[in-house]
Amino acid sequence: MNKFIKILLATITSSFLSFSAFAGGHYTGPDLSGQKVVMFGPWLSPEQEIMREVGAIFEKATGATFEYGGSDSFEQQVMIDLKAGSAADLVVFPQPGLAANAAAMGGLVPLGDDIEQMVLDNYAAGQSWIDLSTYADENGKDQFNAIFFRTNVKSLVWYSPDNFEDNGYEVPSTMEDLIALSDQMVADGNTPWCIGLGSGAATGWPATDWMEDIMLRTHTPDVYDMWVSNEMPFNDPRVLEAMDVFGSFALNDDYVNGGSKAVATTDFRDAPNGLFTSPAECMMHRQASFIPAFFPEGVEAGVDYDFFYFPAFSTKDLGTPVLGAGTLVGATNDNPATLEFIRFLMHPEPHEYWMAKGGFLTPHKGVDGSKYASDTFRKLGEILTGATTFRFDASDLMPGAIGAGSFWTGMVDYTNGKSAKEVADGIQASWDAIK
Amino acid sequence: MRQFSLTSILSQLLLLFFVIIWIIPTFGLFISSLRDKELLSISGWWTSLTTTEINEIHRMLGMEYQIQENNYYIIKGSIFEDNSGKKITSFGITSKKINEFSIGDIAIFKDNSEVTIDENGNYVWKSKTKFTKKKGKRLFTTSLSPPSFTFDNYKEVLFKEGIGRAFVNTLAVALPSTLIPLIICSFFAYALTWMKFFGRDTLLALIIASLVVPLQMSLIPILTIYNDFGAVFGVAAKSYPGVWMAHTGFGLASTTFLLRNFLKSLPNEMMEAAKVDGASHYDIFLKIILPLSIPAFASIFILQFLWCWNDLLVGLVFLDQVPSEIILTAKLKELLGSRGENWEILTTGAFVSMTVPLFIFFALQRYFIRGLVAGSVKG
Amino acid sequence: MSLLNLSFIVLLGILIFVSYFHFSNSFLDSYNRKSNGRFKFENSIRVVIFILPAFIVLFIFILYPVFETVRLSFYDKFGREFVGLYNYKWAIDDPEFRRSILNNLGWLLIVPTFSTFFGLVIANLADRIWWGSIAKSIIFMPMAISFVGAGVIWKFVYEYRGPENTQIGLLNAVIVSFGYEPQAWLTIPIWNNVFLMAIMIWIQTGLALVIFSAALRSIPKEMIEASRIDGASELKIFFSIIVPYLEQTILVIWTLITIIVLRIFDIIFAMTNGEWQTGVLANLMYDWMFRGGGDSGRGSVLAIVIMLGVIPILLWNLYKHKQEQNI
Repeated sequence: MNKFIKILLATITSSFLSFSAFAGGHYTGPDLSGQKVVMFGPWLSPEQEIMREVGAIFEKATGATFEYGGSDSFEQQVMIDLKAGSAADLVVFPQPGLAANAAAMGGLVPLGDDIEQMVLDNYAAGQSWIDLSTYADENGKDQFNAIFFRTNVKSLVWYSPDNFEDNGYEVPSTMEDLIALSDQMVADGNTPWCIGLGSGAATGWPATDWMEDIMLRTHTPDVYDMWVSNEMPFNDPRVLEAMDVFGSFALNDDYVNGGSKAVATTDFRDAPNGLFTSPAECMMHRQASFIPAFFPEGVEAGVDYDFFYFPAFSTKDLGTPVLGAGTLVGATNDNPATLEFIRFLMHPEPHEYWMAKGGFLTPHKGVDGSKYASDTFRKLGEILTGATTFRFDASDLMPGAIGAGSFWTGMVDYTNGKSAKEVADGIQASWDAIK
Repeated sequence: MRQFSLTSILSQLLLLFFVIIWIIPTFGLFISSLRDKELLSISGWWTSLTTTEINEIHRMLGMEYQIQENNYYIIKGSIFEDNSGKKITSFGITSKKINEFSIGDIAIFKDNSEVTIDENGNYVWKSKTKFTKKKGKRLFTTSLSPPSFTFDNYKEVLFKEGIGRAFVNTLAVALPSTLIPLIICSFFAYALTWMKFFGRDTLLALIIASLVVPLQMSLIPILTIYNDFGAVFGVAAKSYPGVWMAHTGFGLASTTFLLRNFLKSLPNEMMEAAKVDGASHYDIFLKIILPLSIPAFASIFILQFLWCWNDLLVGLVFLDQVPSEIILTAKLKELLGSRGENWEILTTGAFVSMTVPLFIFFALQRYFIRGLVAGSVKG
Repeated sequence: MSLLNLSFIVLLGILIFVSYFHFSNSFLDSYNRKSNGRFKFENSIRVVIFILPAFIVLFIFILYPVFETVRLSFYDKFGREFVGLYNYKWAIDDPEFRRSILNNLGWLLIVPTFSTFFGLVIANLADRIWWGSIAKSIIFMPMAISFVGAGVIWKFVYEYRGPENTQIGLLNAVIVSFGYEPQAWLTIPIWNNVFLMAIMIWIQTGLALVIFSAALRSIPKEMIEASRIDGASELKIFFSIIVPYLEQTILVIWTLITIIVLRIFDIIFAMTNGEWQTGVLANLMYDWMFRGGGDSGRGSVLAIVIMLGVIPILLWNLYKHKQEQNI
C-alpha cells in the first residue's frame, strides 16, 4: 500500500484512537519566561488568528512570548530572510519543496532525535511523515528538519445540498457524470463552477491542484511520480492532455462564474462565496479540506454545505485516486524555546484546538476524535478508506522555482489564453534552468 | 482683474475637468469606507446615495422554537435586526425562484407547511405536524436597503485588525528615520560645503553617484551584515534600529544633496566673520547655520518623513511581519490580498494609512513644495 | 513590544546621535581652548567628527552593497561557485528579461511624457484662476499617499466582476452603462501596463505641476502682459513665450520623473505582482532574488542593469545642472 495512503488513512481514522505517548489533557512545558519565539508563515486571516490562539496556549504553559507574522508573498519573503540569516525562529512551509530548498541553503537546523521519536510515536505511519520531512542540508547530508502540522485532503468538491435538492441534482460518482451535470446546470441557467486562483504572490496554486487531481485521473500513478521528478518532461503530451481537461472546465465561459477571465483575478478565498449567494453564483467548488475556514460566517457544515469526492473517469479504470498535502514547521535555530515549541506542536492539545475550529486534519494518533468540528470532517475518512491511489501534492514536492514559481505563473497564463503547449514549454524551461 | 472672456471660461472648465478626474478615485475610496459593509461588495460607491436592492438567504429557526396554537405548530422569528430599515419586496422558498412571492402571499413548502412574512422581516411558519429538524428551512428575501453610512468600519479597523498598532509602528519607524538622517547629513553637508579636506570632491562625487543605486540591490547584503552583527552582539537582526539605519542609508544621498545645495546659497561672509571672532566650526553650525536652515530642514523633514511613511519594501524586509513591528503599508498589502470579501477593512485601512501624509500635506504644503522645488528651478 | 518600550527606544536612538555630535564637538572645543587654539590637529579631527557617521553609513549601505552585488553577479545562485559571465549570458537570452526591459521602456516613454505634459498644462490653467491653488492641491494630493494606498484606491476603479454580476469597479460600471462587456483590465496583455501607468501618471503629475507652478512665477510678467495687450491669444502666448522659457524646467522635470519611473516597483508589486506580463526589471529582480529558492547571481545582474539604466540619465541631469550653475 502506498506509504502515503497509510499516512492519511491514519490521519482521519486514528484520530479516534488514543494510543499515544501523551496522557492527553493539557500541555505543560518548562519555564521559558522572558524568551521569545517568532513564527513566520503564509497564513493570513482567519488562520493567523487561530495560530496566535494556539501560541497563547504555549505562552500560558511556559511563560515565553509567541508571535506570528504572515504574508501572502511568503515564498519570496522567506527567501530573503533565509539568505540573510534573519529568518524567524520557526518557519511554516506550505510545501516540502520549499522546505527542501531552505535546508539546502543551510537555513534549517536538524530537529534532533527526540523530536523524531515523538513523530514516530505519535503520528500514524510516522516513518512516512519523517521521510517527507527529511532533506539534504548544505553539505548534502540528510537531516530530519520539520514536522507536519495541519494536513489536508484535496480531491473534494464543495456544494450546497439545498441548492442541489432545489434543482433536482444528484451527487455525481463518475467524472463523466460530473461533466454531464455541469452541462445540465448550464442548460438550466445555473453556473456550475466557482474557480479562483488569486492568492497574492502565490496566485495560481489552486490551478496546480486541479492539474494534479486530473493527472491522477487520466494517467497511472507512475506517470504522476515521473511528472513530479521531471523524469517525464513537463511538456509531455500526457501533461498537455491533462491541461486540456482543466481547460474544459476553467476556459469554458459558461462553466465558470464570471467567465474564464475572472478565474485568475478572483481570490481563492472569495471564490467559494458564490455557493452561498442569492441567487447562487455557482453550484460547485473544487478545493481542499481547509476551505471552510473562508466560507461566510454562520454557514454550517452538513447543513449549508457539504462535499463529495472529485470523481474519476469510469472509462479509464484508474480507480479512485486522492490528492493531499500538509504544512511543515521547521526551525532555523536550536534555541531551547524554539525547539520546545516544536515539542509543543507534537502534543495533542494544539491539534485539538484547531480541529475544533474546523479546516484542520492531523495524523496525530493521540487526539480526541470527538473534538473535530463536525461529521463532515469525519466523513473525510471514508474518502480515504475508499482510495485506491494516494499522492502528495506535486507542486509542493517540486523544487521551489517550479512548484512555487513557474508552475503557478504558467497556469495563470493558461487561464489568460496562452496555449497549453507554450505554458508547458515555459515550465519545462525553468526545470532545465535549475538543473 | 478678473476676466470673463471665453478663453477664461474654457480654461476654467478644462481645469475643472482635470480636477474632477483626479479626485474621483480618492473620493470613491472615502465614500466606500463609510458605507455599510454589506453594501460594499455588492454595489459600487456611486450608488450609495440610493436605495439598494439586496438578495439574502436566511434560515428560519428550528424545532426548538416551535409553539403550539390550536392545531398548528408555529415557529415565529425575525430575519432582520432592529432598525435595519430594510423593507422586503419579495421572497421565495427555493433557490430557483427567489422572487416568487410578494409580501402577504402564503408560500407553501413541499411538506405542506406554510410561511408568511411581513415587510419588516417577521415571519410565521405553520405546520400541521410537529417540526423535527434542528435547523429551519431557507427563506430567500429581496429587500430594499436605504442608504446607510456608518463609522463602524473605522471602529472595527482601528481597534481590531491590528491597524491601530501598525499606525504606531509606522510612526516609530518614520520619525527616527527622518531625524537621524537630518542630524547626520546636516553635519556632513556642512563639512562638504565649508570645510576643506582631502578627498572632499571625490566624496561629493560619490554621494551624487550613489543616487543611482537601486534600493533592492542593497537588501540582502545589508540584511546579512545585520545578521552577523546580531549574532555577535546577541541582538535581533530585524529590529527598529535596523530599519532606521537602513532608511538613513537610502536617504543619505538625496538629503545630503539637498542640504548642500541650500548651504551653498548662504553667504560666506557671515561665516568668515564668525571665524575671525574665534568661533569653531561647531559654534558656527549651532549658532548661525542651524537657525537659518529651519525652512530647509522643514522641507527635507517632510519629504523624508513621507517617503519613510509610505515606504513598503524597506519595512517588509527589515522588520518582522508580526503585529508588534509591521508597518501600515505592509499591513495594507496584506489586507489587499486576503480581505477580498471584507472590503470595508481594506477601504478604511487605506484611509487610515493616508491620514498622516494627507494631514502633513495640507498643513505644511508650502514646505513640502519648497523642498521638491529646491534645485529644480533657477533662482 | 509595548508602547512604552517602543517610545523609549525611539528616544534613545535619536539621542545617541545628538549626543555623539554634541559631546565630541564640545570636547574638541574645550580641548582646543585649553591649548590656546594652537591644537594642530583641530581641523582634521573636526572634519572626521563631522563626516564620520555619514561616511560609515555611505560605506555600509551604499558602497558595500554595490560591490557585493557586482561580485555576486559572477557567482552561482547561492553565491558560492564562480560562474563568470554565465548570468549575463542568461539575461540576454531570457525572454522574460527582454519583456521586462520592453515594459520598462514603455513606462519610461509614457509616464514622464504625460506627467510633464499634464503638469505643464494644468500649471498654466491654474495660474490665473482664483481657485487655482485649490485645484493644484487636489491634483497634487496623490503624491502624499503611499503606492500601496494608491493601489487600493485604483482597485476600486479597475475591479472586475462577471458580466451577469453588478460591477463595483468604476471603469467597468461606466463601460457597462454604455452597453459594453466588463473587462478584467489588469489582465489584458499590453493594455494592463497602460492601466498601471495611469496610476503613476495620476501621482506624478502633481510633482510636475508643483515645479512648473514655481517656475511660471519666474517668467517676467511684463512680457506676457505686453503680448496680451498686443492682442495675442492665450494659446499663442503659451507656445511662443511660456514653453520656450520653461524649456530647461521641462527637461529637468522630465528627467526627474524618468529616474523615479526607472525604479518603479511598488505599484506593480501591490497590484499584479508582475503577473500578466506587467513585470518590470525591478519586479523580475525581486522574483529572482527571493522566489522559489532565490538566485542571487541572476538577481544581481538585474540589479546592475537597473543601475546602469539610471546612470546616463542622472549624469545628463547633473551635467545640465552644472551648466546652469556656471552660467
